[in-house]
Amino acid sequence: MRNRILILLLLPIGMILGCGQSADIEKPILTGQAVSYDRAQYELQEEPAGVMGVIAAREEAEQDQELVVVGRVSDRIEGLAAFTLLDASMSLVSDGEDTGDDEICTGDCCASERAACTMLVKILDQDGYPLSIDSQQLLGFSDSDMLVVKGRVIKDESANISLIADGVYIRR
Amino acid sequence: MIRFLPWDYGVRNLFRRTSRSVLTLLGLGVVVLLVLVVVGFIRGLESSLATSGNPDVALVVALSAGADIENSSIAARTPALLSASVRGIRTRYGVSYVSPELYLGTRITVDNNGMQGLGLVRGVTTTAPLLRKQVQLVAGHWPQSSEIMVGRLAHSKMGCGTQDLEIGQTVTFDGRQWTVSGHFSAGGSAFDSELWCPLEDLQVALRRQDISLVALGMESPALLAQIDLFCKERVDLELKAVSETAYYASLQQHYKPVRILSWVVVCLVAGSGVFAGMNTMYGAVVGRMRELATLQALGFRRIAIMLSLIQEGVLLSACGALIACLLGLFWVHGTAVRFTMGAFVLRVDSVGISIACATALVLGVIGSIPPAIKAMRLPIVEGIRGV
Repeated sequence: MRNRILILLLLPIGMILGCGQSADIEKPILTGQAVSYDRAQYELQEEPAGVMGVIAAREEAEQDQELVVVGRVSDRIEGLAAFTLLDASMSLVSDGEDTGDDEICTGDCCASERAACTMLVKILDQDGYPLSIDSQQLLGFSDSDMLVVKGRVIKDESANISLIADGVYIRR
Repeated sequence: MIRFLPWDYGVRNLFRRTSRSVLTLLGLGVVVLLVLVVVGFIRGLESSLATSGNPDVALVVALSAGADIENSSIAARTPALLSASVRGIRTRYGVSYVSPELYLGTRITVDNNGMQGLGLVRGVTTTAPLLRKQVQLVAGHWPQSSEIMVGRLAHSKMGCGTQDLEIGQTVTFDGRQWTVSGHFSAGGSAFDSELWCPLEDLQVALRRQDISLVALGMESPALLAQIDLFCKERVDLELKAVSETAYYASLQQHYKPVRILSWVVVCLVAGSGVFAGMNTMYGAVVGRMRELATLQALGFRRIAIMLSLIQEGVLLSACGALIACLLGLFWVHGTAVRFTMGAFVLRVDSVGISIACATALVLGVIGSIPPAIKAMRLPIVEGIRGV
C-alpha cells in the first residue's frame, strides 16, 4: 500500500520533469533585454573631416566604402542601436500634414520619398549584430541634434544601403 | 428620532396597484435590457479586438497597406527571407513560427441555397495554428485541397444559417467550389468570423502569387525590433512590421467613434428611462395624495414618507433589473453581430450586469425623488380633503 502511495506521489514529479525537457526546446536564444555599453567607445569627440549629406552618400556609395555622413535621426529602432539618418536638407512633418518643398511626412504615403533621402545606420557588436540597446540611450542625442556618422557602407544587389558606424559625432 | 414607515408597507403598496406596478416594472425592465444590449455590444466589440492579438507575434505587411491588411500585397519569397535573416524567430521541433497568409474579403455563394454573402477568407499553411493559438479545431479536420475550415461566427458574417456551413456542405468563391472540412473556434477573437483554406489553393483560385502578410512568432516581444530592422534594411521589399497587439489596438482606435456613440446611446436610453419612471411615479403619487397626507397626520415625518416612496421605486427598478439581466443572459448573451471586420458576439458579462444594475438603481432613486418632493409640498389639510 505504501509503495503505491509513493508511486502516486512520484508520478506527478516525473511528469513535471518530463515537461521540463520539452520547455528547453523553446528556450529563448535572444533575451532582447537592454545591456549597458560604454558610450565613449562609440561617440567621437571631434567631428571627422569629409562630411557629405545622405542623398549624396546614397548616390556615390560603394560596397565597403568608408564614409562620413551627416543628417538628423528620422526614425529609431526601439531596443537596438540602429536608426535612420535623414538628409540635413530635408525635414520631417507629422503624418497627415501638408508637405512643402524639402519636407516629407512620417506616414506610409511618403515612404518611397523617405527612402531616397534616408540611410540606415547600425552600430554592431563583435559578432556583427546590432547592439541590444536603444541608440538614443547609447549615444545620448536628442531628436533635434545633427549627427555625423563615420562608418563603412554595406550595399546589396537591390541597392539597399546601410552604414555600419565606427563612431558618431553629435553636433549640438 | 425619525420614525420610518415599515418596510412591508412599501412592498404591499406595490401589490395594491398591480397593473400600474407591472407596467412600471416592464418599462424599467425594457430600459435596463436596452442598456444591457448596448453595453454587451461595446464589450463584445472590445473583447473581439483585444483577444485577437498576441504580444509575441509580429505582422509583416506591405508599406502601402495602410491600416487594412486586405490591401497588403507582398512578395511570396518574403517568409523565406525573413526566416533566413531575422534572429529570434521561435522554432519548435525544427519548425519556424512563420505563417504566410493571404487574406481577403470576397463574395461567397452558399451552394445549399444559392445565397450570397460577404465572407472573410484566409489562405494559410499548417504553421498558422502555431501563431494563432486561440484557434481550435472543434469538429472535422484541417482543410486539404479545395476544402475550407469555417469559424464559429462565419455564418453570421456571411448572413447565412449554421446549417449551410455544416461539414460536407459546399460554398463557391472566386470561381472554385470548396467543401467544408471542419469548424474552428477562436476564443472570441476576430478569426472566429473567417474561413480558412490552404494558401496554395487560394493563390491558384485567385491567380495570385503574392501573399498579404507574414505572421512571425518571436522568442519575446522585445525581439520584434529585429523584424523592424529587417524591414528598414530591405527598403526594396517595401515592408513594415507591426506587432499583432498594436495592429488590433489600432483597429480599436478605428472603432472608437462607434464605442463613443454606443455610450451616448446608453446615456440616452437611461435618461429616457428616468423620465418614463418619473412619469409613472408622478401618476402613482398623485393618486395617493390623501393617503400620504394621512400618514403625515399620523405623525410620520415627510422624510420617512419620501424614503418609503423611494423604496417603492427602487424595489420596482431592482426587480426590472433582475428580469432584464436574466433575459440578457439567456437571450442576448452570445448573439452574433455582423460588422465590417467580421462578426462578434454580444457579451453580457459582470461589467455589463453591474452597469445595468447601477442604471436601474439610479432610475429607481432619481425617478422617485421629484414626485415624492411634489407630494410632500402639499399642505396636510388639502391632501386629506383630496385633490
